[in-house]
Amino acid sequence: MALMEELQALGVNTDEALSRFMNNAGLYQRMLGKFIDNAEKVQVLPFLEAGDLETAQNNAHTLKGVTGNLSLTPLYAGYSDMMVAFRAGEPEKAKQKLLEILPVQEQILDCIRKNQ
Amino acid sequence: MEKILVVDDMEINRAILAEGFKDAYTILEAENGEEAMEILKREPISAVLLDLIMPVRDGISVLQEMNELGMVLHIPVFIITAANEDELLMKAYNLGAVDVIVKPFLMNFLRCRISNVIELYKHRNDLEALVKEQVERLETINQSMVETLATLIEFRDCESGEHVKRICGLTEILMNAASEMYPEYRLPQAEIDKIVTASVLHDVGKIAIPDNILQKPGRLTKEEFEIMKQHTTRGCDILQKIPDIMDSDIYNYSYDIARHHHERWDGRGYPDGLKGDEITIWSQVVAVADVYDALTSPRVYKAAFSHEKAVEMIYNGECGVFNPKVLEVFKQNIDKIRK
Repeated sequence: MALMEELQALGVNTDEALSRFMNNAGLYQRMLGKFIDNAEKVQVLPFLEAGDLETAQNNAHTLKGVTGNLSLTPLYAGYSDMMVAFRAGEPEKAKQKLLEILPVQEQILDCIRKNQ
Repeated sequence: MEKILVVDDMEINRAILAEGFKDAYTILEAENGEEAMEILKREPISAVLLDLIMPVRDGISVLQEMNELGMVLHIPVFIITAANEDELLMKAYNLGAVDVIVKPFLMNFLRCRISNVIELYKHRNDLEALVKEQVERLETINQSMVETLATLIEFRDCESGEHVKRICGLTEILMNAASEMYPEYRLPQAEIDKIVTASVLHDVGKIAIPDNILQKPGRLTKEEFEIMKQHTTRGCDILQKIPDIMDSDIYNYSYDIARHHHERWDGRGYPDGLKGDEITIWSQVVAVADVYDALTSPRVYKAAFSHEKAVEMIYNGECGVFNPKVLEVFKQNIDKIRK
């Protein structure tokens, strides 16, 4: 399956995800499709820039959970690091981390869109 | 199939949990706390998997309401978390959450853990129901043992068993009224119920009084009356030998009533010559009930007095002095008593 291989090349742990979805590949793929919506609706950067740290933190927290469950490993690691930075009271560091992972997130989203 | 309620604003998280549990449970989904509460109030749910941070109504608020409604005692609630929410988690545990589910989910472990806890709760809920049922049965048995004992005494006393029933009825009316009218005599309903049951045994000591005195068709001599008076203390001797046939509270009330239902407010009663509120309110109440019933019933040595005559004799202190407050209670409930 092209999608799975391409995602793997981007660091996504598709095997782990599939076992989480009880090996229901169709469902996993559908939920990857949902992530396109989520990434659009649950943004972090605009809130960080507007100084709304609470919403930024809540949204990063939500994305951490979702990317973890989809095994989008590089994104999960990135959002986890962001949460640590927020917790430590270092929103600048969180933003830096976000800017690092957003291009990776775009690559993953492109890959999912292309294979929809 | 038993039902699991999954509450999370992210469909991805709900979908994974639904997929993982669908073979063993019916899965209901809610997007926020408000939907969750609606479902909880409508359906029997075996477990709740609850996200904390959600729009509209968050998880803590759901837990709070479940806690207030006592639901957390019977329904296990698992908190869905992506970690780093230690304070929220502590709050959730304090409100009765049973465990946490950390994202990303490890489905194999999760399936085992959640179904184990569901079984455990089911077992506990069943046990609770069973214990409740058995307590009710025991109470019924207790009650009938006590009544059996009372019937035996009446039989010896050549009475119909109606006396004991009337004493119970009068005790119930007077105790409830005294509890309502006087704060110092206020008692919870459950205690009054126990006192009513205990009043059945007030004359249990009569079993130890010889027939020629108990059934004598005429006035007792001074010596005979002294023996008759012993039914109070002999009653206690008997109760002491059979404490296990009743609830310990009922035992304590019965013991007190058997001993003190012939005491009088001025200290001139028997066996201990207690005075005033040294006599418990329940023994005072049974005393007046007992006198009223004795007056209005025919006995081997006398005919029955009318209700009016009996009331007059009680007020005039012809049967000994009673607590003015108890007499007031008696007065205000005269219509109920007459019935």
